[in-house]
Amino acid sequence: MASAANTNLNAVRETMEALLEISRLLNTGLDMESLSICVRLCEQGINPEALSAVIKELRKASETSEGVYVCMSDNYPGRGLFF
Amino acid sequence: SSSITELLGALCDCSLSGVSWKRRALGGVSREGFRRALKKRAYGALLSKLFQDGTKGSASGPSTSASTPPRNKVLMICFDLRVAGCREEAERLEEQLERLPEGASSCLKEVDAVLELLVHLAGSAPPPPTSF
Repeated sequence: MASAANTNLNAVRETMEALLEISRLLNTGLDMESLSICVRLCEQGINPEALSAVIKELRKASETSEGVYVCMSDNYPGRGLFF
Repeated sequence: SSSITELLGALCDCSLSGVSWKRRALGGVSREGFRRALKKRAYGALLSKLFQDGTKGSASGPSTSASTPPRNKVLMICFDLRVAGCREEAERLEEQLERLPEGASSCLKEVDAVLELLVHLAGSAPPPPTSF
């Protein structure tokens, strides 16, 4: 029983390693933690295309936020536009 | 066995990592406020995409690209890489694809869905810095 569980665990680990390497080769920008979350979201039935839109949006939001910081620190007139 | 809400929250947290909160606090942006804004945008993107897909499906049926199995899409990328002269990357990609279990033998239920996601995100990250 324990041996079967170990075999399954090894298979999951190997699959995750292969997926991470594919992700790296495709330059998706996902690290192991984000990839694991994405795998679980896909297993929950989230549409992969919709999930990719979410990830791109989160990246855009983080980049925009860097802009907000600069704008705020310089008393830029567009301050607060993004939130 | 986390819920979709928890997992989306975790994805937002991943986007928050590596951010200097000391600097950000000076600009009046709290971590919690930023997290809320990220979650709002994540749900916005997810829902708009889902509704958009629903409309597309009823109007014109699935496109050729949508019906292509994700493994074939990765193989098409391998072909493009070869054409672009990146033979090593193409071979490495094919090797990794072969490591993935197929269908019922798969330990992860949704390997194809994850591959589909990776294809959608392909090239979306900035290229790795070149070393001199």
